[in-house]
Amino acid sequence: MQERLESLASKAREEIGRAQEASGLETLRVRYLGKKGELSAVLGGMGKLAPDERRRVGEIANRVKAEVETLLDEAQKRIAGAALDAELGAPPIDVTLPGRMRRPGRRHVVSRTLEEITRTFQRLGFEVVQSPEVELDLYNFESLNFPADHPARDMQDTFYVQGDYLQHDPGAIVLRTHTSPGQVRTMLDRKPPIRVVVPGKVYRADSDATHTPMFHQIEGLLVDRKVTMAELKGTLDAFVRAYFGPDRRTRFRPSFFPFTEPSGELDVSCGGCAGRGCRLCKQSGWLEILGCGMVHQNVFKAVGYPEGSVTGFAFGMGIERVAMLRYGLDDLRSLFENDVRLLEQF
Amino acid sequence: MKVSVEWLSEFVSPLPAPEELARRLTRAGLEVEGMERPAEALRGVVVARITAAAPHPDAAKLTVTQVEVGAERLQVVCGAKNFQVGDLVPLATVGTTLPGGPTIQRASLRGVESHGMLCSGKELGVSDDASGLLVLPKDLVPGTPLAKALGLEDTVLEVNVTPNRGDALSHLGVAREAASVLRLPLQRKLRVPVESDGLASDAIRIEIADPVGCPRFTARVLEGVRIGPSPAWLRRRLERCGVRSISNVVDVTNYVMLELGQPMHAFDLDRIQGGLLRVRRAREGEPLVTLDGKQRTLVADDLVIEDVRGAQSLAGTMGGADTEVNDGTTRVLLEAANWDPGTIRRMARRHQLHSEASYRFERGVDRSVLPEVLDHAAALMAELSGATVRRGRIDVQPRPAERRTVALGRGDVETLLGAPVPEEEVRSILSSLGFVAEGPGRWRVPGWRNDVERPEDLVEEVARIRGYEHIPSVLPASSGALTPEPAWVEVERRIRGALSGAGFDEVVNYSFVDPAVLPWVTPRALEKLGTPVGAVALKNPLTPQQAVMRTTLLASLLGNVSFNLRQQPESLRLYEMGRSYLRDPHGGKDRRPVTEERLHVSGVLWGRRDPRGWATKETSNDFSDAKGAVEAMLSALSAGELTCRLARVAPFHPRATAEARVGDVVLGWIGEVHPLVGQQLGLPPGVFAFELEFAALEKVARLSPQFRPLPRFPAVLRDVAVVVPVSMEAADVRSVVLEVGQPLVEDAVLFDVYTGAPLPEGQKNLAFALTYRSAERTLRDEEVQEAHRRIVEEVQRRLGGQLRGR
Repeated sequence: MQERLESLASKAREEIGRAQEASGLETLRVRYLGKKGELSAVLGGMGKLAPDERRRVGEIANRVKAEVETLLDEAQKRIAGAALDAELGAPPIDVTLPGRMRRPGRRHVVSRTLEEITRTFQRLGFEVVQSPEVELDLYNFESLNFPADHPARDMQDTFYVQGDYLQHDPGAIVLRTHTSPGQVRTMLDRKPPIRVVVPGKVYRADSDATHTPMFHQIEGLLVDRKVTMAELKGTLDAFVRAYFGPDRRTRFRPSFFPFTEPSGELDVSCGGCAGRGCRLCKQSGWLEILGCGMVHQNVFKAVGYPEGSVTGFAFGMGIERVAMLRYGLDDLRSLFENDVRLLEQF
Repeated sequence: MKVSVEWLSEFVSPLPAPEELARRLTRAGLEVEGMERPAEALRGVVVARITAAAPHPDAAKLTVTQVEVGAERLQVVCGAKNFQVGDLVPLATVGTTLPGGPTIQRASLRGVESHGMLCSGKELGVSDDASGLLVLPKDLVPGTPLAKALGLEDTVLEVNVTPNRGDALSHLGVAREAASVLRLPLQRKLRVPVESDGLASDAIRIEIADPVGCPRFTARVLEGVRIGPSPAWLRRRLERCGVRSISNVVDVTNYVMLELGQPMHAFDLDRIQGGLLRVRRAREGEPLVTLDGKQRTLVADDLVIEDVRGAQSLAGTMGGADTEVNDGTTRVLLEAANWDPGTIRRMARRHQLHSEASYRFERGVDRSVLPEVLDHAAALMAELSGATVRRGRIDVQPRPAERRTVALGRGDVETLLGAPVPEEEVRSILSSLGFVAEGPGRWRVPGWRNDVERPEDLVEEVARIRGYEHIPSVLPASSGALTPEPAWVEVERRIRGALSGAGFDEVVNYSFVDPAVLPWVTPRALEKLGTPVGAVALKNPLTPQQAVMRTTLLASLLGNVSFNLRQQPESLRLYEMGRSYLRDPHGGKDRRPVTEERLHVSGVLWGRRDPRGWATKETSNDFSDAKGAVEAMLSALSAGELTCRLARVAPFHPRATAEARVGDVVLGWIGEVHPLVGQQLGLPPGVFAFELEFAALEKVARLSPQFRPLPRFPAVLRDVAVVVPVSMEAADVRSVVLEVGQPLVEDAVLFDVYTGAPLPEGQKNLAFALTYRSAERTLRDEEVQEAHRRIVEEVQRRLGGQLRGR
């Protein structure tokens, strides 16, 4: 029996040493150590042995079993190691093959700019509201202190809309020439304090490299009991720093809009030349970006706020102009052709 | 408006350098948009004295001159003969570039060195004379730059005058602003005519039948007029301001307009018949030939000046041909009148007669100073034309200018600006602009400032003359109550994110489109495809292709497809978020929007699904890609499941189009573009599109989905395959599977669709991956086996039964 055990051990040594694969090793483990394996078969005959002999053979059997287990473990490590070496040593993949992706779609540069600017005013505590684009003359002009037959109307080439299908006569209908009717509608809908921005499309009958018949603006309106021009300046200064960067300077100039008094325009120092003068800013060092002012009391009157009860400021900014400055665009008309070769640049 | 700095300095001096002047004016609200230096063209041209002249040894037509230019002596070869030694002539020195000509270089002319070029008036652009050298006055100093010597040095400012500031449309007006910002006195020297014996009122009578249209009419009568050219200094000033010189009489009216802001008109008095001019409204259909030779038909709102024959002039806009001053004119009626701004504006627009005069009258001209202005012009005209001025002024004034005062309270400036301005400074600024203090806190508004009506207007005057840079910059004290961001802002953001992730480029299109396109793209019953659509139309479109407001974004997006196909792309995925505009018969009532403006999210797909690449297959975008884009949006919105139903709707293909819904909410349409639409718009086959309502997406969005506990027990996966007729929709099969699978089947995902052998014709195999799960316990294998067997049987029974039923 002892011999049988010894020969079993030597056979196992040889076979395990020869094993090259994990699966073969498992077969050997079952053959030698399994319930119906060879070791069990040998030990099955142990019951017939005398107690002394049984103890002695038992010790040998345990030793053989331990040896086979150790051999199997070592072989397993050896095989796993070889497999790993083989895996790591195989030829590499071609990492220069292009990646698999679906190219994300791009935002249109105008809508992106409009959203960036809107978000900046949201950070300054302004609420975003929407207002119609097809608008009554009443809200686009009259309520904003543009009297009929006033030359201020020449500042904007207006598109007029046919209203022949209407069942009543609301007066002239226009495509809004600015987002300012959003001021009127907001004030008609709400009581002060008001702090809103109105982003959106506006229309003027004009078309050349720097004018398109449709473009975008954002209107701002803040109305409360005692709003000052210093606060208008503060808000716009904050906007310029938040949007263009902390190193930009601003310049306020007097101007004229019928619906604000006093009125102003805001210039931002040119980013192309840091204010020294370049082609972008026509050598002036400044870029005009918006019109603004203190809300005219006639506008408050038009929306039914008691005269003198509130003051406020308003501003309106052209989005395409800012986009042109920011992204170096030179012909606005190309923006609305939607050539994907242009769209995909942004 | 063009403003000559040299002319301006007659009113204010000393003026700073033009650049500084421009900066100061701009800061005060008169934006200087550009600067021109007419003498710039003469840089390098100097006064030279000819000290010797000898014939060229080798060319009969040339003369070799020696000239003295300051301390320098130069030899110049010249072709002209009209000079004598000792004359002063212009020399273009080496390096000078003449107007529209070559750059002068040192040259050798037939072997004789020449250092420059002696010039004619024409070569320098200062006269039309090309016959010989421009011989200069003897008192000039050789070496002096020619522009300086001739007084041609000037800067012309291009001033952008805002519509409220009609008063600044003259040199006097701009000078007043300059004097105020520079804190200098304003000097005004107006001429007064020497009068002759005859009375003006004996020569002509003026009547005003329409005091609304004509608040004041003044006139002078000049006799012994000799029409001729104006002197050079006057012509030069006119030209610098962009006004063409015509004759001494006409030039004076223009000159005084540019100087003082009052447009004027000169009638040939002998061609006025009946000794009377009357101002009245025109009769409907009344004819008039204006100065430009055009026959015009008038309307009742037009304002005319008539004599006994009828209308002779369109008031304040353009004179008539019949009473025009011509070369033979000897008696002139010089008119300086005031006209109603609104009337003039309507006339100018109606007759397309936008002139320097109408431009000023529209903006309002001061009528209180008419007599002085008239006298100034009459005196100048008399001087330049050798005329005498009849005694007396005709002055008919049915509506004298009102004296207006505006109150300015002590705190008003600080309240509006947010910082105090010393009382003394307020007073000095307002006074410098011509406002007159009338008792405490009351200011009389000068006649030329029709824009000042309210205290805020005075505050603006103070603020702008000081400069807005002196206003402090503070953040608003009033914040209002901060409110949550409106849901639509977040909905928009997520939709854009999803579409971008799905590879859609955003487009932004004009809202107006070609009316010819709408019948083919407007969503409605399919039967109506190609029939007219009632859209909102523009009265004055820029082009016929931009004449109506779009009823659908597809009108634009399908155009984007055909536009981009010219570049032969492999594929296109485009989306737009924008409004459509639908007629609303009650639009504009109360505060209702005029049209129904609906925000849409629409997209188009065409071409390869994936870009050409080593790892992609060549498959094309189809309905499922369009639907997948919609599903991606809904997923980003945490909305419920998309259900699609086959739909017949224009402009889509009846075989491949769905109405898209979540629950009961209809989102819009997804489908292939109808072949007829493709034909109409020049699109290839295989264009897919969707058009959804933003409001519907907002409705189904769940921006704050509520937490559901994660399942505690494992799921078991089993596949099931069902053979059904090809006409049966997968969604129906799936809902049967889910229904009979209750309560253990959690989900069923369709993972394969198969038709063909060995299936019989007209049958398809749908394979679903089922997820079994119990909320109470881990399912045992036998339980799942049993449930699965039941489902397979039941599904086969229900759907197979249907099959047998047909």
